[in-house]
Amino acid sequence: MLFKNTYNEFIKIVSKPRSYLGLGALTLLIGIIIFAMKADGESMVSFVTASFEQTLSFNGKLVNGNLIAFIILQMLVVHIPLLIALVTGDLISGEAAMGTIRMLASKPISRTQIVLSKFIAGAIYTLVITLWLGILSLLVSHVVFGTGDLMVLNSDGLVILPEADILWRFGLAFCVAFLSLLTVATLSICLSAFAENSIGPIVATMAIIIIFTIIGSLDVSVFDSIKPYLFTTHMASWRSFFENPVPFGEIMNSIVILLTHIVLLVGITLFKFNRKDITS
Amino acid sequence: MKKAILFGLLLAAFGAFGQEPEKVIDKINAKLATVKDYTVNAHIDADIPMIKIMPSKAKIYFKQKDKVKIESKGITILPKQGFTELNTFLSDKSKYTAIFGDSLKIRDVDTRLINIIPNSSSGEIVLAKIWVDQKNAVIMRSQVTTQTNGTVKTDFKYGSQLSYGLPSELKFEIDVKKFKMPKSVAADINKTSTDKKKTKSKPRTKGNITITLSDYDVNSGLSDSIFKEKKKNQQ
Repeated sequence: MLFKNTYNEFIKIVSKPRSYLGLGALTLLIGIIIFAMKADGESMVSFVTASFEQTLSFNGKLVNGNLIAFIILQMLVVHIPLLIALVTGDLISGEAAMGTIRMLASKPISRTQIVLSKFIAGAIYTLVITLWLGILSLLVSHVVFGTGDLMVLNSDGLVILPEADILWRFGLAFCVAFLSLLTVATLSICLSAFAENSIGPIVATMAIIIIFTIIGSLDVSVFDSIKPYLFTTHMASWRSFFENPVPFGEIMNSIVILLTHIVLLVGITLFKFNRKDITS
Repeated sequence: MKKAILFGLLLAAFGAFGQEPEKVIDKINAKLATVKDYTVNAHIDADIPMIKIMPSKAKIYFKQKDKVKIESKGITILPKQGFTELNTFLSDKSKYTAIFGDSLKIRDVDTRLINIIPNSSSGEIVLAKIWVDQKNAVIMRSQVTTQTNGTVKTDFKYGSQLSYGLPSELKFEIDVKKFKMPKSVAADINKTSTDKKKTKSKPRTKGNITITLSDYDVNSGLSDSIFKEKKKNQQ
């Protein structure tokens, strides 16, 4: 029954035009970034390497498909939560707003299974978005720019990774990025259980992400004790796969915190939905 | 009369002593001039603060007087100066004054310091020091200070191509205190202010790049067209 209801929930997602908004926006944004990098990628890279190039010379293909894919991932992972929340924030509240939730609850399926099927359908949609991001950013940029070593800039300096040592990093980075986006999807579904309209959970999800991100980026020690527990702090942990050596301990910590958020949010949603008054 | 002879001898001795470093440099230049062109495989190992890079391989093409092309499959990092600048500068005696300095033993080889002082203040090189193995007429160590790139110290090791004066290993020590990360692109939201304070402690100011050179192909008659493709290949 759970499988059948998950299938039905996914059909509902697929039948909504807003579900394609995310895929369309992603395609357009990646196209714009690739066009911009093709036109002026060299100057962007030289801006990064400028302080080194007084003393050092960088030889080889700096602007390549791997770098473009990394830039795309870095730029879009910040914005994709909105596209995800746009769909998942509507999963429960949308039914409440349209009144179909009563019909759904009258089916021979428990409320817990209804919620779980919505979570699974939301996770599949998140996976589709992540895969689309991966396919577009990696494949298209490799076709347009070719392959090569990856130069990554972080606050400690430049990390240059050999071409043969990159693909597995992208694979695992996309897995962690998926987990981050799944946390956002879970949050919006959870908020959706508390609301009677679609806009509320979507806006609330983005507001929470913005507030947490600002707290995380404020360079003041008063927030140091709470920063490690904010899910937004760990949403960028996919970047750690592009460090050398890879800090697997830190990444595992991020994965545990994201999974804890997911489990907690699913738990809260189940608790709320099982007690939700759907008769009024 | 005796005083005049003594004065004449001293003058002659000082005159000869003053020209000697230039003669040593002439020998080095003459040796390097026998190399019209070469190609060599390079193994580059860079240990530079703020840059993490695995050892890489490249092929270096050189043709007199100062044509250099570096071909690599991946990204390689090399010092901005150090391959041809010093030799090009030394080849024009009108540009500098050479003065002998102390003797020094470098890896069991007796060397003599020659201070190279540019005659013009407008040139890129501010001061150069070379430690020369006078017996083999090769530079064993150099320390070049330029207006824009700071000081670069280079250690030379020689192997099978000693007769041409071509090194088998170059070890560059470069000044990295000028490196500044663009904060807008290097923002790392994962790091707490405590982490950032930790990373700020004791920054290294020197970096090393070791280039091991092997499989020299000297005077094979390289075409100029190889060097014309330089810009395309380096992008």
